[in-house]
Amino acid sequence: MRPEGPGPNVVLLSLTLVALAAWLGLDTVSVAANRIVTGTGYRVDEVIGASGALATTLPWLALAGFAWRPARRHLWLALVLVVLMLSALPAWLSLSATTLVDGGQARLGIGAGIWVVLFLLLLAIIELRTRLVLPRLLGWALLLPPLASAGFCLSRWLVPLALWQEYRGRSGQFLGAVGEHLLLVGVAVGTSLVLGVVLALAMRRWPGVQKAGFGVLNFLQTIPSIALFGLLLAPLAWLSANVDWLSALGVSGIGWAPALLALVGYSLLPMVRNTFVALEAVNPGVIDAARGMGMSRGQVFRQVRLPLALPVILEGIRITTVQAIGLTAVAALIGAGGLGTFIFQGLGQAAMDLVLLGALPILLLALLVDALLGALTDILRPGGAE
Amino acid sequence: MIDLIHVTKRFGDAVAVDDISLSVARGELCVLVGTSGCGKSTTLRMINRLIEHSEGEIHIDDQQIRAFREETLRRRMGYAIQSTGLFPHWTVARNIGLVPRLLKWPKAKIQTRVEELMALLGLAMEEFAGKYPHQLSGGQAQRVGVARALAADPDILLMDEPFGALDPITRENLQDELRELQSRLHKTIVFVTHDMDEALRLADHLVVMHQGRIVQQGRPLELLREPADGFVESLFGGEDRGLKEAALMPVSQRMLPLGPRLLARERIGQHASLREALSVMLWRHAERLTVVDDDDLPVGELSLRRLVGVRSDE
Repeated sequence: MRPEGPGPNVVLLSLTLVALAAWLGLDTVSVAANRIVTGTGYRVDEVIGASGALATTLPWLALAGFAWRPARRHLWLALVLVVLMLSALPAWLSLSATTLVDGGQARLGIGAGIWVVLFLLLLAIIELRTRLVLPRLLGWALLLPPLASAGFCLSRWLVPLALWQEYRGRSGQFLGAVGEHLLLVGVAVGTSLVLGVVLALAMRRWPGVQKAGFGVLNFLQTIPSIALFGLLLAPLAWLSANVDWLSALGVSGIGWAPALLALVGYSLLPMVRNTFVALEAVNPGVIDAARGMGMSRGQVFRQVRLPLALPVILEGIRITTVQAIGLTAVAALIGAGGLGTFIFQGLGQAAMDLVLLGALPILLLALLVDALLGALTDILRPGGAE
Repeated sequence: MIDLIHVTKRFGDAVAVDDISLSVARGELCVLVGTSGCGKSTTLRMINRLIEHSEGEIHIDDQQIRAFREETLRRRMGYAIQSTGLFPHWTVARNIGLVPRLLKWPKAKIQTRVEELMALLGLAMEEFAGKYPHQLSGGQAQRVGVARALAADPDILLMDEPFGALDPITRENLQDELRELQSRLHKTIVFVTHDMDEALRLADHLVVMHQGRIVQQGRPLELLREPADGFVESLFGGEDRGLKEAALMPVSQRMLPLGPRLLARERIGQHASLREALSVMLWRHAERLTVVDDDDLPVGELSLRRLVGVRSDE
């Protein structure tokens, strides 16, 4: 007889099994004598011995068990377990640091195993959050214990952690870079939003503008970003040499000016396209009714067309912002600053941990913006309609 | 009330509406019927200037419609289209209150009016006021559409296939409700449909359009009995005409006073149509029916011979 209850949660089960395999099979940490040399990897059993490694499989097996019989109570237990395991990852790094690193120049690197497990556990949280229909805010709150644990471990035992070392060497610079990055993205997205809305409105009014506009924007999008920076170099340098107030503003062939121009150029297409499509796609029956009821053109636009188009326009802002956060990394090449600076410095010095110091925050920023704007879109969707 | 005088509408070279003249009297329900592309919707939309006519004159209360600002003109007329016309981002109450808000009525008055209309159309205030259109059934959405059109108590109501997207049963219910509503409110209504049964059920004045022209207009029974040409006849569905006619005539028109004979067992209300009476006879295998009044008291009888017999003078 088969006991009552839902069948296995395949998603959670496969996530658990793959993560367990990664945990046991891949290096969890690596130790390098200094910043430049490649580290030696250590699997779980190489850190705490075979019997210790066997013990660490217990929570995984429990998780698999909950996934096998996913009653609501089991899913809650699984959620608690996943949060605990996420919180335990920094503790594992601390343990490795104290066991394997004996002071001096040696550094602890985070191995592939930890990255994979981190990623899969986060996916598991998303899956559980969906299954349990938790509110968005609670979903975020679930990340607090792991973050607290990471913060605590960093301050006590994780001094040899390579990423942390790189950060401590540049903590002032780091905050500045994050600020520059956000400023560039903010100004670029803000500018392209204003320009994009104006362009989209013009395209709706004059079909000629529509054809030409999309042609130019599509063309812009096909130029590789580095090439675009290069193309802007000469004209901007000429401008700054010949126009006094521009050079006084700080415009030159390299630096923030070409970066901003290129970013705006790339951001325009998704912005214009989404705004235009959003405004066009409003149900003609609704517009007909609005006019037939006696709304003026302005009222139709402000009270009907714009609010109905808003979720799609926000979607455009979201895509554009996430794209701009990534592109701004490349802008560091022409001296525009931002987190990309660390990436290129790291590449130049063959210090992969420095590259990570630039790349990880970019990734996190993109995810954060994506989540925030996604939440805003949901709120603005009237009554959960369509 | 509404007069179209030699009105023509051209889109480029194509003539959508070709020199039509039409008068709708106050309190009359005028139905424009015809196949798709015959110009009936265009005609309706010229009345509230959603489409500007090319030639001729359109008058409302003996005033040219071009004498009004477009918005002013439209706010004087109710406008109802298929349920898709509701604003999806507004609640039912807000949708209904639209035109009063445009006319800048005070808040309290709008609130009272919305409550009044929802009651009139059988929409429970506490259940529906806060709902969004996508939470309504087709029939409910359409009631909201009609309530919205009636909101500012306009004399004129323009309805463009308002029941087009509904299932047949909901559709018939709403047609009955519209008739009932009209018998109380006496609005001047122009109603567009491609469904001849709907047209016959609703119309005081029936206008058949074909290829931009009016081929025939008049009272529904007149058109049914004497179609002007083969096209009108085909619209009435050939073989089905007898049933369509019977559907327009009440039992009371053909019944005889109670005679010396025993009352027939099967009964029918005096306001039912002859078509319904025929259906009862077929179903019950009965040649005679007792006609009863609203209190279920016998007032006469109807025989099959009588039902199909010589036309009574009207």
